Amino acid sequence: MDQSTIRNFSIIAHIDHGKSTLADRLLQATGTISERDMQEQVLDDMELEREKGVTIKASAVLMHYQARDGITYQLNLIDTPGHVDFTYEVSRALIACEGAILVVDATQGIEAQTLANLYLALEHDLEIVPVVNKIDLPSARPAEVAQEIEDLVGIDAADMLPVSAKEGTGVEALLEAIVARVPPPSGDPRAPLRALIFDSHYDAYKGVVAYVRVVDGALDTGKAIRLLATERQVEPLELGFFRPQMVPGERLLTGQVGYIATGFKTIRNVQVGDTLTLAEAVGVSPLPGYQPIKPMVFAGLYPTEGEDYTLLKDALEKLQLNDASLIYEPETSQALGFGFRAGFLGLFHMEIIQERLEREYGLEILATAPSVAYQVTTRDNRVVTIDSPAQLPDEATIESISEPWMRISIFTPATYIGPVMEMTTKRRAEFGQMEYLDEQRVRLEYLMPLSEMIVDFYDQLKSTTRGYASLDYHFDGYRQGDLVKLDVLVNNQPVDALSIIVHRDQAYYRGQRLVTRLKEAIPRQLFTVPIQAAVGKRVISRANVKALRKDVLAKCYGGDVTRKRKLLEKQKKGKRRMKMVGSVEVPQEAFMTVLKLGED
Amino acid sequence: MALYLHIPFCQARCSYCDFNTYVGLDHLYQPYVSALIQEGRLLAQQYSQPVGSLFLGGGTPTVLPIELLRQVLTTCFEIFVVEDSAEITSEANPGTVSLDYLQALRGLGVNRLSLGAQSFDEGELAMLERIHDVQHVGLTFERARAAGFDNLNLDLIYGLPGQTLTSWVHTLECALGLAPEHVSLYCLTLEEGTPMRDRVLAGRLPAPDPDLAADMYESAAECLASKGYRQYEISNWSLPGYECAHNLTYWRNRPYLGLGAGAHSWGVGLRWWNVRPVMAYIHRLMGARQTPWPSPAAEDGERISRLLEMGETLMLGLRLVYEGVAEADFHQRFGVSLEETYGDVIHELTGAGLLAWDQTRLCLSERGRLLGNQVFAKFLPS
Ligand SMILES: Nc1nc2c(ncn2[C@@H]2O[C@H](COP(=O)(O)OP(=O)(O)O)[C@@H](O)[C@H]2O)c(=O)[nH]1
Ligand code: SF4
Repeated sequence: MDQSTIRNFSIIAHIDHGKSTLADRLLQATGTISERDMQEQVLDDMELEREKGVTIKASAVLMHYQARDGITYQLNLIDTPGHVDFTYEVSRALIACEGAILVVDATQGIEAQTLANLYLALEHDLEIVPVVNKIDLPSARPAEVAQEIEDLVGIDAADMLPVSAKEGTGVEALLEAIVARVPPPSGDPRAPLRALIFDSHYDAYKGVVAYVRVVDGALDTGKAIRLLATERQVEPLELGFFRPQMVPGERLLTGQVGYIATGFKTIRNVQVGDTLTLAEAVGVSPLPGYQPIKPMVFAGLYPTEGEDYTLLKDALEKLQLNDASLIYEPETSQALGFGFRAGFLGLFHMEIIQERLEREYGLEILATAPSVAYQVTTRDNRVVTIDSPAQLPDEATIESISEPWMRISIFTPATYIGPVMEMTTKRRAEFGQMEYLDEQRVRLEYLMPLSEMIVDFYDQLKSTTRGYASLDYHFDGYRQGDLVKLDVLVNNQPVDALSIIVHRDQAYYRGQRLVTRLKEAIPRQLFTVPIQAAVGKRVISRANVKALRKDVLAKCYGGDVTRKRKLLEKQKKGKRRMKMVGSVEVPQEAFMTVLKLGED
Repeated sequence: MALYLHIPFCQARCSYCDFNTYVGLDHLYQPYVSALIQEGRLLAQQYSQPVGSLFLGGGTPTVLPIELLRQVLTTCFEIFVVEDSAEITSEANPGTVSLDYLQALRGLGVNRLSLGAQSFDEGELAMLERIHDVQHVGLTFERARAAGFDNLNLDLIYGLPGQTLTSWVHTLECALGLAPEHVSLYCLTLEEGTPMRDRVLAGRLPAPDPDLAADMYESAAECLASKGYRQYEISNWSLPGYECAHNLTYWRNRPYLGLGAGAHSWGVGLRWWNVRPVMAYIHRLMGARQTPWPSPAAEDGERISRLLEMGETLMLGLRLVYEGVAEADFHQRFGVSLEETYGDVIHELTGAGLLAWDQTRLCLSERGRLLGNQVFAKFLPS
């Protein structure tokens, strides 16, 4: 096997621009998968991914392609996670490659995240093979789109390959371009083993399976390995290649892409970006760029039925088996009972986890208002990081609070500049710059607090622009802000699950809305129940749930005692599901309604 | 024993009504009455206790030609042991009965008439989609008097969409102006599936305000008391001695036999109810010779355990605002005392000001009358 015949590449594309279809064509054209076995979109294998149209997990496949020069090449296609919360994972997948196919829909043009990923690829010196897809469509404007890409990133429009992934047009030419343009891996076969972990999954029999790109050296079966960042050592059960299913092999050579079945039981031990080497090797320096997982968004997850707690626990454990970026720990809320505080990479990640819990595990869950990680500086100059309003130290001891800000980039048709400006300003965004991508489309750049993005921002952006805008964001840094804790009190008792940290300017508005909603959701009690929103000791909004005056069935006609009793029994059963806040009976649904109603 | 006869027919359906009643089934009057009589004959063999009250309810019993009511009543007198002093009530709707009809009814032994007056406001009657207007109420009332009825009830309804305290007081004053022996005041419940509820949900009628309904109730209670009516049940007032014996049986949780479509019966640990549709009922009784237990028309039923019966006894008995549930009666009936069975609940609820308890009798407090459900539920077994 000759290192010079290896080509490692990814596909960079916006959702729906045809990445999966094109990948399928490549697999077919190289005979990796027969026409008959062709199951649509092999690379996306989770049902949810297909439905959401995003790739949650990276995956890889080895193809053999006999080029026109008569040589058989080893092509490794490494799939990248399709959305913005996984930028780090994307960057690891990209640096495992020497090239990237840029797929742009000839009817749409390039989108925000694609451009961000493209820059990422260029940063790592990847050779870009640009493809304009869907040229079979009558509305395709390949020349214009090619020009747009040239203007934006300086890729010569003449190098652009016209492709119809659907019809297979241009696929042969693309394979030739990959072979011709993407350089072979340059690692040192004689150096000690260094392999980059770019993904992993959990297998019930093989334990955690690490997806690796061998950078230097080689790995033989039976050799013990070591992971540099997590400092774990193990004798792998198996190694091999993705064809696309796992096929065991004898050796992984320099430049090759394959898998190592570690036998580890927890995915935590196998971190994306970590360097894998031989256990016996000494003084091996880690590959650059490793970052430990850093959740950005946090929320309490509670089962709506208290008895589902153990089910939720099991489900989270199972999800974590395959998702090293999901973290959680038990949390108890006075209002919601037993649950978990979970950390996510971002808002999409959170949404996906919630959906999977509900869909795949049939759980009904309630999520508290998401929070970011705040850095609190106390009067005595200590800095504590908190990810829940409940952890906020006493107001009197706080010197300042900082929150994470993001650098965001929005691609939108120019007609929506006004509305986008307005919605971002409302969310405390600071305008950076605006750039015309072509005559109709612009790129807007802002700095914006993450806390303003985690509730409904994306949905609102989409609806504001009728679905045309695309969004990309990255962590920029922590900044001090005038932030306060807003508490909601029912009958003078704070409801822990409803506390939020907000900017002082928004405290009044948010408080008022929480109070109004809660007032509607709490049934009348035998006494008047005051509901208040307060910042510290200062009440900024209040309302009363008036005492119940009348609750009696009018009539018991014709001796229908059974029906009457059933009504009362239902009422009584409802009470058993009430949570007590002090002496107030609050149906759990009340908290749910308040928490579920999005920001409007 | 109380005997209830259900007549599931009306001339038109009112917008708030979810009773088991049907419109336009005139051709089934005779077959239905025959079925009703058949059910009576079959059941009378087993239920031979003396009948202390008989109640013709509906629906509107008086839509039946008097001849059919005659068949029903004379058969009942023949097959059941109806006490001489028995209270025999018929419901009737204003504007549907002539003097002749009422006289005939009185002649059949009916000695109490319950008129569905509902309101003395034309707009409200129209919204309720009643078939009568205000003047019919007085007219029918006077006719009933002329026909010899000396025990008359008026049903009134409050808590209506858009109803004001003023219009309610007006209704009440008009009703009392007729000097009935008994009044029933029902707060409107928006029942599932009724046009009225749909209209309220769709926003075409204003949603009734429960606090206003509470005000209406309180002002009515005051007004009635000042005119000498005694509130003996949450929704019922009468001049002394004119309490409705039939309904007292329900509230005291004593046995009753219900005949007819959808009727309910209760006694010795069992409650059952008949099929509701008229045709289904008729079919069940056609050719029924012997009695499948408990009735050929029974749709379903439930066994009532002793514990449940105790709970139901309180749920019903506490509706009787002064009578309540007496410790002595309860002990006699169940062999245990209220105190030992429900001590904790009683103390919790007296503490909350919803019950009054003097060791011999348990009653709702004045505040408790409006919050009865909060009380009743506590006595039901979990
Ligand atoms: N007409 C046409 N449709 C295409 C082409 N490539 C992909 N599609 C369609 O575009 C949609 C999105 O494609 P998919 O491969 O799932 O995109 P992904 O989200 O980037 O993986 C699907 O309905 C495909 O059938 C193409 O070359 N021509
Ligand atoms: S008259 Fe009575 S039973 Fe008949 S439809 Fe009206 S409310 Fe219902």
